[in-house]
Amino acid sequence: MTVVDTTPPPRLPVRDRTAAAERAWGGLSPMLTRLAAERASGVLVRELGTLYLSEGRVVHAESPLAPGLDTLLTAHGTLTAEAWRDAVSRADERSGAAHLLLAGGHLAEGALQLCHLGALYDAAYFALAPSSAPGRFRYGVTHRLGPVLPVPVAALERETLRRRDLLRRIWPDPRADSAPLARTRTTAAPKLTARQQALLERIDGTRTAAELARELGRQAFHTLADVRRLASAGLVAPRPPEATTGPVATDDGPAATDEGRAATDDGPTTADERPAAEGTGPAVSGAGPPPGITERIACTTDPHITLLKRLRDALEAL
Amino acid sequence: MANTETCLKEALASIEGATGVALVDYTSGMALGTMGGGKTFDLNVAAAGNTDVVRAKMRTMEHLGLKGQIEDILITLNDQYHLIRLVGGRGGNGLFLYLVLDNKRANLAMARHQLKRIEEDLEV
Repeated sequence: MTVVDTTPPPRLPVRDRTAAAERAWGGLSPMLTRLAAERASGVLVRELGTLYLSEGRVVHAESPLAPGLDTLLTAHGTLTAEAWRDAVSRADERSGAAHLLLAGGHLAEGALQLCHLGALYDAAYFALAPSSAPGRFRYGVTHRLGPVLPVPVAALERETLRRRDLLRRIWPDPRADSAPLARTRTTAAPKLTARQQALLERIDGTRTAAELARELGRQAFHTLADVRRLASAGLVAPRPPEATTGPVATDDGPAATDEGRAATDDGPTTADERPAAEGTGPAVSGAGPPPGITERIACTTDPHITLLKRLRDALEAL
Repeated sequence: MANTETCLKEALASIEGATGVALVDYTSGMALGTMGGGKTFDLNVAAAGNTDVVRAKMRTMEHLGLKGQIEDILITLNDQYHLIRLVGGRGGNGLFLYLVLDNKRANLAMARHQLKRIEEDLEV
């Protein structure tokens, strides 16, 4: 046998990933970066929250997932609900609600600044979350609260990234952030802090972390951190989403029919992708493989099996 | 109550040997305000890291069933002192002051006393 020596194929051009990522990196939201650069004033509406800008700096943030400043201030008696309502209703262009609260002696300046900063970073964490819908900006809109302590966009983005990383380090599976939470049994539960205990007592399989945060009058991110710590300790798990509730509820109808069709076409793939849905939806379970050991394992409360499942989930999430 | 900036400024100016100060939220590890520090000492990083120190100590105390409150935590390096003071009061719950001192110039007892006073001013 003769060996024919051919020229080796030319090296395929390889894209330098790090350089490409740096070139494409426009911050958490390229639009926000641009607005900061042009020192815009107005309101940026994103999928999960709203940022109020004044001369390119963030003055206020709101998100349906984070309790507002009013909740944080009134929940523990720092401020009465009447004082807040009164200040908001009297607020106008010239003096915002913050100014009125301070002038009325309801609140010390430092207390307001700290609570406001906490609420701002908290809501901005959700507002800057990756989203599929494009953001919209309306120039000239201001918030009724008025300016308290503006935050540079760069600082906000840095903090948001740090928070994402912090959550990932505690427990890498993000499902517990948005799904209704349920308590699970565990073999060796660690001792909990008073804050975590209060949170755990309110977990009943129906409410999400955001709802619990609002109920407790705590910042949503802090609640997420506690939830993830409880999840990593095996005390809490996201309840499997059902067809009627949970984060997929918005496109409920078409998703359900899609799923049913897909299940008849290629059953195994669907079953792999949606093990939880398979167990709960009676229509789908009729089309897929018969409910057997897989379903029993999915619903088990045996502490040893749940421990193994947590290990598997953690390894998969890495 | 003094506002955040005034309080940090006072800590840095009035405490002998202070080189940096931060007001930190220890649940998230975020510095709500920093002053001093400089290029070689990033107070934001220090704030986040020392959050774990505070949390670990609090957890230990809960495990031990100690009912007392942490007043302050002192860490001594060969050339610096780091002083952590928990902010009391309702609204201050979950905050601490973090003070970096140069050990050649600082008087530890005085620094602790002054930080306590500033913390009481800050108390919400």
